[in-house]
Amino acid sequence: MSTASTGQAYNYKVVRQFVIATVVWGVIGMAMGVWIASQLVWPDMNLDLPWTTFGRLRPLHTSLVIFGFAGSAQFAASYYAVQRTCQVRLYSDWLAAFTFWGWQSVIVIMLVTLPLGYTTTKEYAEIEFSGAVWMTVVWVAYAIVFFTTVVQRKTQHIYVGNWFFGAFIVVIAMLHVVNHLSIPVDWFKSYPVYSGATDAMVQWWYGHNAVGFFLTTGFLGMMYYFVPKQVGRPVYSYRLSIVHFWALITLYIWAGPHHLHYTALPDWAQSLGMAMSLILLAPSWGGMINGMMTLSGAWHKLRTDPILRFLVLSLAFYGMSTFEGPMMAIKTVNALSHYTDWTIGHVHAGALGWVAMITFGSLYHMIPKVFGREQMYSVPLINLHFWLATIGTVLYIASMWVNGITQGLMWRAVNDDGTLTYSFVEALQASHPGFVVRFAGGVFFLGGMLLMAYNTWRTVRVADLKVAHRDAQIA
Amino acid sequence: MWEIILNLAAVICLYGTVEYCLRDQSGEALDEASLIPFADDPEVARRVELATGKQVKAVAPEEAKPGWGNVEA
Repeated sequence: MSTASTGQAYNYKVVRQFVIATVVWGVIGMAMGVWIASQLVWPDMNLDLPWTTFGRLRPLHTSLVIFGFAGSAQFAASYYAVQRTCQVRLYSDWLAAFTFWGWQSVIVIMLVTLPLGYTTTKEYAEIEFSGAVWMTVVWVAYAIVFFTTVVQRKTQHIYVGNWFFGAFIVVIAMLHVVNHLSIPVDWFKSYPVYSGATDAMVQWWYGHNAVGFFLTTGFLGMMYYFVPKQVGRPVYSYRLSIVHFWALITLYIWAGPHHLHYTALPDWAQSLGMAMSLILLAPSWGGMINGMMTLSGAWHKLRTDPILRFLVLSLAFYGMSTFEGPMMAIKTVNALSHYTDWTIGHVHAGALGWVAMITFGSLYHMIPKVFGREQMYSVPLINLHFWLATIGTVLYIASMWVNGITQGLMWRAVNDDGTLTYSFVEALQASHPGFVVRFAGGVFFLGGMLLMAYNTWRTVRVADLKVAHRDAQIA
Repeated sequence: MWEIILNLAAVICLYGTVEYCLRDQSGEALDEASLIPFADDPEVARRVELATGKQVKAVAPEEAKPGWGNVEA
């Protein structure tokens, strides 16, 4: 090993802030999810108040977990990894701090406005005009911090994880601006510039790529840094990771129309979306296999390292949900699955199994390092969190599969005379046991998240910032 | 016919992009790039070297330089 000396101490302060924000929004966002799951089991949980009804809290749940939890996690991971792989301090402490407080203010805007009923009604893009403009400002600042850091790097090569983070930042900016193009009538009400099928297509071009880029590409950047680091082995095939990157970003952007099968969208566009979704299986699995195979020769570490277990299980769920997605995009399968709970189960296979699990693994890796500790306060608690999260995810997705197939079959059943065999309410009654199991799964998952919050609190309480600062210099 | 030509063009374009990105990359350079996550972590770098037999070009960043934009340092 040759040792050279370059660069400056890393900026861990902003990483610490985003790490804590990830845990806080994770607890609140997931608690919101459990609450709305309970509303589907016990309707009284709507509390007969307009701002606590399912219709208002569901977009709040998705906004908090996507932008609050997953967004903060990606800020933390990208700021941590970009500094360490470029061997240079993050560009501008001031601008980095602005992105932290700016992003938190965006989440608070969502927290206040969505229950009050201010919404664009566009899924995952509900934040109204002025909030969306502010979000763009913060995102541009993020891009400046990230890309200037990359430009100032001391390494010759830009590590592949940073390519994924970079694509995530650029594409999300494009999607957000195009989908939010609208004419404001006041601060919190606007109307989109698109209409009809065009509006639907733009929305689902955005919606699918919110999954593809906000909940996949950035997390793949996380995977390419934290999996090799935790395993102590370089990524299985660096060449495959580059092919993975280009193929993924080339294909993902075309898959949106599969959300609009059998609608007013032109048939050719639906078929194109289906075909692209099927092709997308190849790069998705290429990346998953690349991550998994990084453990070659180190599989035994799974016996003792719960952080690695989180990372590997997240890859398994990534593989599973990126197989399920293309299958559901096939028009004949979609005819059964669309509008049913199967879709909810699929989304949560990705959200709980992939996004949340890789976030947990990455945070457990990062927290001791940025707070100057040897390891987390309690490793057994990480292990317990792992099992609670796994059981919760399995209960969630299995119940939604059963519910989804039940609903799809009951809705399409017809009598000999052409009338429907079942009313909608009968299908809803048949779904009730699944709603109960889903609620239980959510409670398990939230329980794990609360354990993580406790473990983090105990670790942070005894944080040694002098050690963290020293580590930031010799890392 | 045009669809087939466009599809082929897309595949050729993807292949060309990948090849262009890899134009200066030798197997050795890619190996080196894959070791970047360990480069600033001398202790882990040593373990990776032992496990893989590959050499990590480790670095140790210098002291922070206070100034505009670096308020924490």
